[in-house]
Amino acid sequence: MRPLEYRRAEDPRRAVTAVAGRPGAMFLGAGTNLVDHLKLGVARPDLLVDVSHLPYDKIEPRPGGGLRIGAAVRNSDLAAHPLVRQHYPVLAQALLSGASPQLRNLATTAGNLLQRTRCPYFQDVTTPCNKREPGTGCSALEGYNREHAVLGASEHCVAVHPSDMAVALTVLDAEVRVLGSGGERTIPITELYRLPGDRPDRDTVLKHGDLITAVDLPGLPMAAHSAYRKVRERASYAFALVSVAAAVQVRDGAITDARVAFGGLAHKPWRAYRAEEALRGVRVSAAPGDTLAEATTAAPIAAGGAASTGENAGGTSTVEDLRAAADAELADARPLAHNAFKIPMARNTFVAVLRGLLREEGATR
Amino acid sequence: MTVEAARRGGEALGDSALRPDGVLKVTGEFAYSSDLWADDMVWGVTLRSPHPRARITGIDVSEALAVPGVHAVLTHEDVPGEKFYGLEHHDQPVLAIDQVRYQGEPVALVAADHPETARRARDRIRVGYEVLEPLTDARRAALDPSYPKVHGDRSNVVRHQPIRVGDMAHARRVAEVVVRGEYEVGMQDQAFLGPESGLAVPAEDGGVDLFVATQWLHVDQEQIAPCLGLPTGRVRLTLAGVGGAFGAREDLSMQIHACLLALRTGRPVKIVYGREESFFGHVHRHPARLRYEHGATRDGRLVYVDAEIVLDGGAYASSTSAVVGNAASLGVGPYEVPNVRLDAYGVYTNNPPCGAMRGFGAVQACFAYESQMDKVAEACGLDPVEVRIRNAVAEGSRLATGQVIDMPAPLAAMLEDARAFPAPPPTGTADVRDLPGGVSNTTHGEGVRRGVGYAVGIKNICYSEGFDDHSTARVRLETVGGEPAALVHTAAAEVGQGLVTLQAQIARTELGVRQVTVAPADTGVGSAGSSSASRQSYMTGGAVRAACEAVRERVIELAEERLGRSLPGASLHDGRVVAADGLAVASLAEVLAGRAVEETREFRHRRTTALDPLTGQGDSHVQFAFCVHRAVVDVDVELGLVKVVELAAVQDVGRILNPLALEGQIHGGSAQGLGLALMEEIQVRDGVVRNPSFTDYLIPTILDMPPMRTRILENADPHAPYGLRGAGEPPTLSSTPAIVAAVRDATGRPLTRIPVRPEHISCG
Ligand SMILES: Cc1cc2nc3c(=O)[nH]c(=O)nc-3n(C[C@H](O)[C@H](O)[C@H](O)COP(=O)(O)OP(=O)(O)OC[C@H]3O[C@@H](n4cnc5c(N)ncnc54)[C@H](O)[C@@H]3O)c2cc1C
Ligand code: SF4
Repeated sequence: MRPLEYRRAEDPRRAVTAVAGRPGAMFLGAGTNLVDHLKLGVARPDLLVDVSHLPYDKIEPRPGGGLRIGAAVRNSDLAAHPLVRQHYPVLAQALLSGASPQLRNLATTAGNLLQRTRCPYFQDVTTPCNKREPGTGCSALEGYNREHAVLGASEHCVAVHPSDMAVALTVLDAEVRVLGSGGERTIPITELYRLPGDRPDRDTVLKHGDLITAVDLPGLPMAAHSAYRKVRERASYAFALVSVAAAVQVRDGAITDARVAFGGLAHKPWRAYRAEEALRGVRVSAAPGDTLAEATTAAPIAAGGAASTGENAGGTSTVEDLRAAADAELADARPLAHNAFKIPMARNTFVAVLRGLLREEGATR
Repeated sequence: MTVEAARRGGEALGDSALRPDGVLKVTGEFAYSSDLWADDMVWGVTLRSPHPRARITGIDVSEALAVPGVHAVLTHEDVPGEKFYGLEHHDQPVLAIDQVRYQGEPVALVAADHPETARRARDRIRVGYEVLEPLTDARRAALDPSYPKVHGDRSNVVRHQPIRVGDMAHARRVAEVVVRGEYEVGMQDQAFLGPESGLAVPAEDGGVDLFVATQWLHVDQEQIAPCLGLPTGRVRLTLAGVGGAFGAREDLSMQIHACLLALRTGRPVKIVYGREESFFGHVHRHPARLRYEHGATRDGRLVYVDAEIVLDGGAYASSTSAVVGNAASLGVGPYEVPNVRLDAYGVYTNNPPCGAMRGFGAVQACFAYESQMDKVAEACGLDPVEVRIRNAVAEGSRLATGQVIDMPAPLAAMLEDARAFPAPPPTGTADVRDLPGGVSNTTHGEGVRRGVGYAVGIKNICYSEGFDDHSTARVRLETVGGEPAALVHTAAAEVGQGLVTLQAQIARTELGVRQVTVAPADTGVGSAGSSSASRQSYMTGGAVRAACEAVRERVIELAEERLGRSLPGASLHDGRVVAADGLAVASLAEVLAGRAVEETREFRHRRTTALDPLTGQGDSHVQFAFCVHRAVVDVDVELGLVKVVELAAVQDVGRILNPLALEGQIHGGSAQGLGLALMEEIQVRDGVVRNPSFTDYLIPTILDMPPMRTRILENADPHAPYGLRGAGEPPTLSSTPAIVAAVRDATGRPLTRIPVRPEHISCG
């Protein structure tokens, strides 16, 4: 670790000035990601400005509906907040599926948004990595890339964004409030993250010295009907291989609106607009013996593919429509040497999340 | 059993005596080796190679030496004695000389007054590397003589052990059913929580005292002293608090390094590895590729096994030879097989060095032969338990090595017991923690299918193949404050298994005293051998018992002198000498009369022999231990996630010495097997480790490990002290294949590689 200066921010504007004016300066949240990077040599700041104590620790209803979440709100507090649980279950579920209770007790909202990729080469300073050191090359392209991107990657970087929370915020049309040298501004979360292109060193559109002060959630009635599911190899305390956040609205037996985002597939939380489009109008059949109601009865495993759970004999079913919607989104997916499984896994997760939401919808009607 | 019940249970042999370190550990007060401290100490750090294979063209330490606060910077040139060490072959340099053979190999050392200063100085050492293509193909290393060599002219094959029994040509003609499989076992880590650490203190006699967390003090001492150029007696070791071992502390890590720095600086030197460094600081479980062919009759009786096992030993030999010996001699499992052709290889590559880990060569083979047994069952239309029972060894059976099992081996009954366990109820969908995916919230019951699998393993206990395996105990009986008290002193390493507790239980029972102290383990007493191979209850337990018996004889002699009559058949109970008729004739305090009686005994198990290098025949093992697992799993067949609903185990331990500690061993061993089945793997690409952290190397959490049901049998081994059978390793063998069999049962997938990944189940 290099010697560095540590300052606790007293005031947001001075914090911004301090960081904006010094190329080697960084904001520090709870440090659960950044301190690891200091130790590994991935981040080499000469000044840390600790913003975790600024008065951004509140969750407040907004006048026109929605919530304002302070940048320093801890992940545990956000997940446990009654309004979040009631109106935005996808967000609470995403948070609770991340990290461990101890980490969530510390981690801040802004820090979670800006945590960096778990790509093993990014974390190993002895290997080339365009994200860590632009122009050195991407070790994952030809290396171990089981956890990497299948959507929106470039030849310069195939990393994925690790945050669960950000995937949930993406379906909620959240907006990120930023204080920069030029004053305050708001960035839709769908525009916060970048695809790698030829500048994979930049995860987001933020400029050096931009301080995240809050995340705004719009009033979104359909978000009360939302869910997050995450696939990983251990029952807790591991990053996602694939995850799906979704919210649906059903009227008169058909899907009238849907929002879906994938985690674990791309350099940013992947809002699945094409799938959403395909979902609109899908009829939700709820007859007895229907695929949604009876999905637990296991069908034999189709050779070489996923279980054909839930398919009714002949004819189209809602599950088939769901699968088709997922496929519409995943048509452009490009697997690397070790991650082809992510495509069917994403599709199956997508189907599982939507099926679950539609079944609940059926039960509440 | 609850702790309360254990507390009521007393402290003699057979009771659930509580461990002295238990409360300290859960309250965070236990002093681990990483907590060692000396007021004037300096800190040592290690510079490691980033490359798995490279020629060193030069090392320049001048800049590092110039850093204020730095006391010493050492390279191989500063190693005063032998430059190489190793458990079985002295092939590993103390510090790399002209080349590096694995990523993380130590190249230079720094001592400084602060760990951060030491690290910064380390970053200023300039090492020139000519990077070479790493040799990472274990199969070519084993079988292709043209493959380049890892160690100069030395063969890449550390050991090849064939087993040849019967007439294979004939066997192939008579077999009615043939099943084949190729299996792969990923590299598992021992994943102990206490990183490698210790404190070396220079002594006035020019020697050094080393306080360290290790598994075998004397084998460390024997390797350290020659490298320091010191006589063995001037390198004294004391065991420091060990935070888990599982085989990973059998090889040296920081021991010689800390001693070198201490002798050079004249100051105590502490070295503590960080978590990432720890992944490079110890050996791992050998990854393996196994090719098996089983021939059987239509009614499921094995006719032959034809197998090839390749174990990747990585850059240095460590205990690869012995691991190969186990994989070969136990390679067909606990089954009677009349015809065997098996070849086990352990090889050098530029992958991370591999050596001892719980199960030691028997684990890899067990996954393959048990997968095969399920295939035989399927091919013959038999129940998997039935096919195992039909082929199971029993007392009197001959193993593939020709060794006859001359102790109880009630395998068929154990399998029946496992099958008879009641089935766990279907999982409710109310709590996602009970479902595949756990708190990831992946399924609420849809797409979930249940599967059941069985497996059995055979493990050798104690060191094998003619090794002079022994342990030493010194026991002293005297009165302290008017009460008789025993002091037990051995060099045996308590690595968490509960040996300190057991030693006290034995002394209490044999000497009839309540007050027993177990002295810290050090090299001031003879070797106890390693805390591995599930051997310490047998070996050090045997030594403590022998020393207690000798003390008891002396005490009875003293009583006879005092009473003026002989006391045939007398014993010691409750602080008294008790005559054969059951009457107390004197108190120990009276008999001892202020004197101390002290005896030291060496205990040896019966002799074993080497395996014939061409046929693999020989009575190579001391004792055999068996465990049977039944695993019940729920699998989300859409997303490929597994929830192990229950693990049930049947194990024969010969004699239960401490029920609570035994349960702990069975649970822990089973959990480690679960990890190998479903998640644990060091990802190595081109010789480079890709996940050296507990964020990225996944070990099971409490949500992944299910409740266990156990049934413990006590069929005494007549050759062993108290009839006991080593218990720590067998559960690690059978838990893995049982879980994988259960996942196969739920999914119909072949699953030939462990750990099983979601993509092997559903999204492949
Ligand atoms: C073992 C482990 C497992 C984990 N598992 C998961 C998981 O499963 N899912 C998941 O989503 N996450 C996981 N995480 C990541 C965890 O969520 C993040 O580490 C955490 O959210 C980061 O928050 P922080 O406040 O500690 O950020 P820091 O580490 O303090 O900062 C992270 C980044 O954000 C910047 N930053 C912080 N605050 C601001 C601000 N106000 N304005 C601008 N920039 C700012 C910092 O400069 C830094 O670049 C895991 C982490 C660990 C260590
Ligand atoms: S994928 Fe991105 S982060 Fe990973 S090595 Fe390539 S450039 Fe670096």
